[in-house]
Amino acid sequence: MSAFKEYFQNINDAVVSTYKGMMVTLRAFLKTQGFRKVKNGYDYGAGPVTISYPEVKDDIPLSSRNRLFMHQEGCISCNQCAVICPVECITIESRKKTVEEDDGSKTPAHFGSKPLKLKLLRFDIDEALCCFCGLCTEVCPTECLVHTPEYEYSKYDRDNLIYDYLNFSDENPLPEG
Amino acid sequence: MKDFTQELNEETIGLQTEELTINMGPQHPSTHGVLRVVVKSDGEIIRAAYPDIGYLHRCFEKHTERREYIQGIPFTSRMDYVAAMSQELGYVLAIEKLLGLEIPERAQAIRVVISELQRIASHLLSVGTYGLDMGGFTPFLYAFRDREKILRIFEEICGARLLYNYMRPGGVSRDLTPGVIDKIKDFTKYFPSQLDEMNDLLTNNSIFISRTAHIGVITADQAISYGLSGPNLRGSGFNWDLRKDNPYSGYEKYDFDVCLGLAEKGEIGDCWNRYYVRVKEMYESIKIITQVVESLPAGEHTAKAPKSPKPVGEIYMETECPRGTLGYHIVADGGKKPWRVKAKSPCFIVTSTMDEMCRGMMLADVVAYLGSIDIVLGEVDR
Repeated sequence: MSAFKEYFQNINDAVVSTYKGMMVTLRAFLKTQGFRKVKNGYDYGAGPVTISYPEVKDDIPLSSRNRLFMHQEGCISCNQCAVICPVECITIESRKKTVEEDDGSKTPAHFGSKPLKLKLLRFDIDEALCCFCGLCTEVCPTECLVHTPEYEYSKYDRDNLIYDYLNFSDENPLPEG
Repeated sequence: MKDFTQELNEETIGLQTEELTINMGPQHPSTHGVLRVVVKSDGEIIRAAYPDIGYLHRCFEKHTERREYIQGIPFTSRMDYVAAMSQELGYVLAIEKLLGLEIPERAQAIRVVISELQRIASHLLSVGTYGLDMGGFTPFLYAFRDREKILRIFEEICGARLLYNYMRPGGVSRDLTPGVIDKIKDFTKYFPSQLDEMNDLLTNNSIFISRTAHIGVITADQAISYGLSGPNLRGSGFNWDLRKDNPYSGYEKYDFDVCLGLAEKGEIGDCWNRYYVRVKEMYESIKIITQVVESLPAGEHTAKAPKSPKPVGEIYMETECPRGTLGYHIVADGGKKPWRVKAKSPCFIVTSTMDEMCRGMMLADVVAYLGSIDIVLGEVDR
């Protein structure tokens, strides 16, 4: 008798619990009024939450750590970013300015007005190696090296991901960040 | 657990059967990463299951020894990429203990908020993918919808969605802005109702219960002898939570309960109870976050810590990560770089239970067991 009862109890449980679950999805379904445009990930509104990416772009926070950008005029060649980088993706070459070159120039005021004693010869970042940890931007004394919210920069060739921040031209542009 | 062996032998008496070796993984969707399980099966019944790890080994312990202490933090966050904040917290706590740093109250509170948010995000992934393993697609999408909100909060706080590098010896790298605190408050108001929905959808679903209850039972004794921790241990009914038993980062100030497997369905220590401990822990995490955010102390978000610390000594620091007790053993010789860093991973330990637990199980239940122990292979291999 008990097995008989259990059999129907099981069927009842299955129907009731599945009904409950289906009601959850039904409620969610009924809230979808047309195709709502989702602006960003904080959207707590009912209905679809998918951001249809290539058409609609998520407005990601400005603090987001994506591709690095170096403002050439602010760099004092202190080499701290290259030292702290855990994956060694930054290559810096510099030399001491000669007496003729040393005109007592400083970095712009928004980069801290620091004296430029060294001449920067090379500043390469291999973005293919970069692990986006943000340690380099933290140690930068003039805050000229920054992470930008720019994330669409995939290339067909890995060599194209080596960014030479001192020589970029119209043929080889670096999009502003 | 029911032993099908006897039953089947009586039925198939006189029939010759042969053991079949099946490779499950490394590219199997339910192994949650790159775990290979060599399964010896007799028909549908598992005779042995050997987990084969090492496919995601990236030498993080060695990498950390070759770099300065601060440079090691990005590597720790890549160990368990689903709960990176909690992984970083253990590492920086160990360094702080070596240096004897005093952490400002605000930094401690921020760390608690962050690691509890991370716990919710990690458990949501675990719960959602467990539904996916058991054949329910909707819970997975619902869980990821809510996880996305947490990842957005993290992105605003520290700039990254998954691999944060947010903790520093002495505090955290950026302070919480009032805007972010409002967003966290919004989330704590929004989330519990979604969790109730998840219970309707998955937890109390009869089909889900019959797939998971009474399957893969780990008794409390077995769990202790293996050295399990976290939800896997608490699912077996053993009350052990480092946040209560050995508080760190100011957890003792907040009021919350330790969630245990109480056999609401099935029996203590089975897959369903392990799963349900995670759901209950999410409610508790919301409780903690609400308390901290309501009374977030003012002050500095980081203490004055040396730029490149040079500690001396030996330390073992463990924290309660979403997947269990994560311990860091650091041997420091006074140089810029640690002499040795060893991470004790909870996922590695629970992977070793597979053979004993899976014997006598049906083949489809291996997936149920694997999902319920919630391993991340990045942490198993390191």
